[in-house]
Amino acid sequence: MVGTPVLFIAIPLLAAFLIPLLGMIWKELVRIVPGLVLTYLLILAVNLLVHVLAHGPVVEVIAGWVPPIGINLVFSVFSGFLVTLMIFLGLLVWAYSYRFKRNVDYEPALKYFLMLMMLITGSVGIVLTGDIFNMFVFIEITSISGYGLTAFYKGRDSAEASFKYVLLGSVASTFLLLAIMIIYSQLGTLNMADIANKIHLMNPTLKIVSYIFFVTALGIEAEIFPLNGWAPDAYAEAPGPVGAAFAGIVVKASVYAIIRYTFTIFDLSGAFNFLIIIGMITLIVAETAAIRQEKLKRMLAYSSIGQMGLVLVAFGFGTEEGVFAALFLMLNHAIIKSLLFFSGSYLVYNSKCKYIKEVNGMSKFLPVTSLLFALGAFAIVGLPPFAGFWSKLSVMTAAADSNMILIMVLVLMVSVVELVYYLRVVNRIYFFKKETAIEPKKPTFNALVVMIVLGVIILAIGFYPDVVTGVLHKASASLMDKSQYIHHVLSLRQ
Amino acid sequence: MEKVLLDILGAIVTFLVAFVVGMTYGGLNRKITARVQNRKGPPWYQNFIDAYKLSSKKSAIHHGVMHHLGPAFLMVTSVMTLLIVPVLSHNNWFPNLNFQGDLIFLLYIMTFGPLGMALGAGQTGNPNSAIGVTRGLSMMVGFEIPWVLALVALMIQYHTTSITGLMAVQAHSGTWLMFSSPFAFIAAVMALFGMFRYSPFDIVGAPTELASGPIAETGGKYLFVMMSSGSVFTFAKLTLYVDLFLGGADNLFILIIKTFALYLIPLLYSLVSPRYRTEQAIRWFWGWPSFFGLLAILQAIIF
Amino acid sequence: MEMIHIIFLIFLGGAVLTYFSGKISKVLQDIFFLASVLVPAYLFFAYVGAGREATLSLGGITLIWGVNHFSWLFSLIVLGLGSMAAIYAIGYMKGKKRKGYFYFNFILSIMAMMGILLSIDLISFFIFWEIMTWSSYLVTIYNGHDIQRIGIKYFVFSAIGAYAMLMAIVIVHHLTGSFLMSSMINFYPNMSLSMQIWIPVMFLLAFGVKAAMMPLHVWAPDAYSNAPMAYTSIFSGALSKMGIYGMVIVLVTMINQIPQGFWFREVIAWLGGITAAIGTLWAIKQDDAKKLLAYSSVAQLGYIITGIAIGTELGMLAGLFLAVMHALFKGTLFMVTGAIEKQTGTTNFNEVTGLIRKMPWTFIAALLSIIALAGIPPLGGFVGKWMLYESLITSNHYLLVIVIFFSSTAAFLYCYKFLFGFFLGQEEKEWAHVKEAPAVMVVPMLIMAVMMFVLGTFPGIILKPINSGLMDLGFVDSFKHLWESSVILNVWGNHVVLQPILYWIIGIFVFFMIFLTWKGFKTTRYVSTKDISSSGEVPADDENLTFSVGFMQPFMRAVAPAMRRQIDKYYNGIADGLESLFEFIRRIYTGNGQTYTIYVIVFVVIVLLFKNILF
Repeated sequence: MVGTPVLFIAIPLLAAFLIPLLGMIWKELVRIVPGLVLTYLLILAVNLLVHVLAHGPVVEVIAGWVPPIGINLVFSVFSGFLVTLMIFLGLLVWAYSYRFKRNVDYEPALKYFLMLMMLITGSVGIVLTGDIFNMFVFIEITSISGYGLTAFYKGRDSAEASFKYVLLGSVASTFLLLAIMIIYSQLGTLNMADIANKIHLMNPTLKIVSYIFFVTALGIEAEIFPLNGWAPDAYAEAPGPVGAAFAGIVVKASVYAIIRYTFTIFDLSGAFNFLIIIGMITLIVAETAAIRQEKLKRMLAYSSIGQMGLVLVAFGFGTEEGVFAALFLMLNHAIIKSLLFFSGSYLVYNSKCKYIKEVNGMSKFLPVTSLLFALGAFAIVGLPPFAGFWSKLSVMTAAADSNMILIMVLVLMVSVVELVYYLRVVNRIYFFKKETAIEPKKPTFNALVVMIVLGVIILAIGFYPDVVTGVLHKASASLMDKSQYIHHVLSLRQ
Repeated sequence: MEKVLLDILGAIVTFLVAFVVGMTYGGLNRKITARVQNRKGPPWYQNFIDAYKLSSKKSAIHHGVMHHLGPAFLMVTSVMTLLIVPVLSHNNWFPNLNFQGDLIFLLYIMTFGPLGMALGAGQTGNPNSAIGVTRGLSMMVGFEIPWVLALVALMIQYHTTSITGLMAVQAHSGTWLMFSSPFAFIAAVMALFGMFRYSPFDIVGAPTELASGPIAETGGKYLFVMMSSGSVFTFAKLTLYVDLFLGGADNLFILIIKTFALYLIPLLYSLVSPRYRTEQAIRWFWGWPSFFGLLAILQAIIF
Repeated sequence: MEMIHIIFLIFLGGAVLTYFSGKISKVLQDIFFLASVLVPAYLFFAYVGAGREATLSLGGITLIWGVNHFSWLFSLIVLGLGSMAAIYAIGYMKGKKRKGYFYFNFILSIMAMMGILLSIDLISFFIFWEIMTWSSYLVTIYNGHDIQRIGIKYFVFSAIGAYAMLMAIVIVHHLTGSFLMSSMINFYPNMSLSMQIWIPVMFLLAFGVKAAMMPLHVWAPDAYSNAPMAYTSIFSGALSKMGIYGMVIVLVTMINQIPQGFWFREVIAWLGGITAAIGTLWAIKQDDAKKLLAYSSVAQLGYIITGIAIGTELGMLAGLFLAVMHALFKGTLFMVTGAIEKQTGTTNFNEVTGLIRKMPWTFIAALLSIIALAGIPPLGGFVGKWMLYESLITSNHYLLVIVIFFSSTAAFLYCYKFLFGFFLGQEEKEWAHVKEAPAVMVVPMLIMAVMMFVLGTFPGIILKPINSGLMDLGFVDSFKHLWESSVILNVWGNHVVLQPILYWIIGIFVFFMIFLTWKGFKTTRYVSTKDISSSGEVPADDENLTFSVGFMQPFMRAVAPAMRRQIDKYYNGIADGLESLFEFIRRIYTGNGQTYTIYVIVFVVIVLLFKNILF
């Protein structure tokens, strides 16, 4: 056995509780331990993924209660891929923020890393769990650490942003609980595979209502328009790496949940079109809102929202190609958007308001950071030979194969908008004169390494996409094969 | 080799004929103008006297290589045009290069000289020269439109782009193209006004204000070459018109009658016209002449 | 590992190496730069022939590269002009900032263009198309002047075109299951009518943008004039030809196969004609050489588009020959402008005058290219123009030929403006210090000028490859043997024999040159441009006799009504309108938590209300 899925939840949770204790021994441990834990988890995840690729999904039963009664964790290729991606990003976020604020005290650092660990735990849990109530718990864990991280700077604005997040988060919890209640009252089970098996027995109206409640609740976390009011503020007010963590980890987990509900659990025929519709609306509104932003992080936030809309659209095609494209998009989005958040944070590091115009002429002072930001911008708008191109191509191919001509036109038009605002920023970085007296901040060594690693990955995927397409194809196949999922979970009778 | 020498000899003969005829026309122009204005005017051979005087003068200054070579460029155009246009229908003494170029080629070789001379005029640094050149080039854009409309009409009607082809059409049918394609003829003649740059289209030279425009800085031998070039070009253009619209000519006498008749049209029109400004002139060419040109094309399409 | 792989690797590696070697030594950087353009060019012409294919499998898609006669012709333009421009760039970029950046994008552009030409499948075509777009975009914004408008405009137009092409590609993939161009072409007759129309339209949108076709041309004047001149010479000379290349393929292999193709070709031909006319008018108006040449490029591309859209063999030959010629003369003219910019620091006609005696070699290059541009015999431009007119006349495009004729006559105005503005006119003290540009810049210009001269008399040198390229596309060669000699002819049998004409022109010119010089030139003395007849007065030294402001005023007044409307303004209007719309959408995010909560409730209510429709 190469390791069990339960470790992905147990170890970071344990680490999160141990961090304050270890901090009493040596303050630096607060910063070091999360890294060690995440590294270990990454190795574990990769090993497990390799195993799963060869031998099929691993289903872990917690506390000896077999499904459908007990809670189980499912490490299929699909969820395993996302877990690996999320942990990898978590590791990068950790490495990046290891010395992000050199001047911060012990106490904020402790809170920061503690909440980061919780955030990762929760998100990984959402992806791994096979039980809807368990998922609710993990979503709560994720959200609460998210609230904390948003308010990290303790300013007026960050408190306000955090409050909005709390507000919408509690609405999300309510709807989620309602949905779970409906399901449980109807089917008497909370296990995903079991529900999927019995879903046809459910009252059709209630089925639809519960699906809508699920999507609403998860949509708030997944930043679907018009449920994403919290997101721009939270991204803008939270520390830069947290933005990357939101975009790369939390949102991914929530999208995973929506997809799991749509693909595996529910059998609603209109759900796919529903995903396309809300995805398109999200994409269009977010990207057009992004072009009018004056603050860099806010712009990145809207762009991130838009990308997630596109991911939903790609999932909504309902074909294996579509899922492949969506996964590719998620992967690229995680990598590229993180790079943009990472490098963007340094471009506006010492500025108070983080205005876009404050990046003017930064290339002279921060050449590498600027180059990486430009690389990220070029990659995210889908220019070849960078990573974003292949995902865009696969989205387009999937759309064409599903005969979604109108969707293609809209997506491409929105891409032009996206292109414009990214290029505007890159132009500012390179060709404008520095106006304000803001002191540029050189990135720390580990931040630089993280950004360069991301840049190299972007180039690697761009020049040789085969490094990931194999896994992605298997992952999309595993999501599409609903019966296999049910079979694997429910066959665990002792 | 012998043929080449004969060609060259023929070219020289053609050139001399064109020179004499063109110069005479220039003299007659001055005479007629004077008589109409109730003056006595110079004798008809005055242009020969002028040419002799200019050619025997010695130039003291030049303004650089382009200025020096400008007249030579101009001469290339005149002589090439003369050589491309068939002077007489059946005569071996006027060999020409007609079988080596067609109307479109002719149109373009006709622009070679003005551009070269414009460069020469430009190098002198005299603003009047440059002003004259810009006016001349602008005017050219004006009159080329009806001219090309007329030519295109002929080409598409008779499915040939060569001058000899069009002459053959006339010989074959027995009617001149000015009768079978009247609109094209009208447009072409109106364009001819612009080519001759007589009043009302004489703003290029604008003799009183611009000191003769492009040629302001030339004198002596330079002016002599330009003057003879102008004379040769006049003859070549008129011959071209005769070939295209008046059925060509079998001998020199008929040719001279036909060309002179044609020459009288712009000449007499100039006597009763005041001067147009450049933009007015351009618009004039894009008005009625172009309308007739379009009618010609319409006729060519329908028939 | 085929030679094509190696060529791409050299380009790619050379670009990176050139970029970073600048940190070590400037000379090393220049050497790397030259090597990474010239070596692949040599390898290509020496070792890559038709029929050899190279493949690369990426992401489950097989990219295939190979060369046929048609793409070989364009490779000649790209690599030939690219090599010349590269040599020129060494001189031009000396002492400038961001050299590595410039070189990097220069090499990438050449690579991308070669990639486009060598692509046999649509995906690699698209990939290289996009690389070409962004690398040229990066050079366009090199100067940093007004880039948020100029650069973004260029990129947006290119992106719209490229995305249209991407749509076409994936739809074709959906229909045929393959990304190969050949399968697209083979399947084309079996498509539904709407697809038969839309697929070419989407492709032509992409190609039309790059070929600066009306009404997609608005980016071109700004982009061409903003890029460094060493790059603009390939930008306008070679990069725009990629649009032409694509257009020819679409027109010949797809549109010609359907009966509706006639209207397609008519529309494109007219668009080309209008482009030519409007580009010319605007070129005349410009006071800056860069802008003038940029508009002139737009106009010249209009001729080329018209030629290839006519679709007859002569029209194709005319269009492609003009494409080669345009690469030569426009490349040279941009180089001339760059040389003058380098030596004087400005390219404004109102500032620079009278350089002819200071930069004689540059002047000769400029003069020859202007003669070629104007289409005056005996230079190569005439051959292309002649074939274009003949093809228009013989294929019953009576009015279009007038439009083309108008624009090419009006082109004399800006031709003269260019030559006069820079080289002729008053010699001013301000420019007394100006020296001839360094040899490394002058030699490429002169080489290209000589080529124009040769092609004017022996067009067969280029017409033969063009012809075999067209045969590769499926044209029947009806003019065969004649490309051996120097005769051009039309389908009615009318012809121009170029060789004797050249000899006559030279003969007459030399005769009168000797006549003028005989006992003349030696004894006459050169006088300065102040020593002129000015109503009998002698102009004082400080008297300003320079004539350049309002140079073509009378003509501009005559055509003023045609220039009152500018398509650019409409685009700007659309862009502004969109920005306000976006601003309105942005206001959905009020920043108020309560509103956001209401949104959630409204969302749920709406979805619940429509649940029967949705699910």
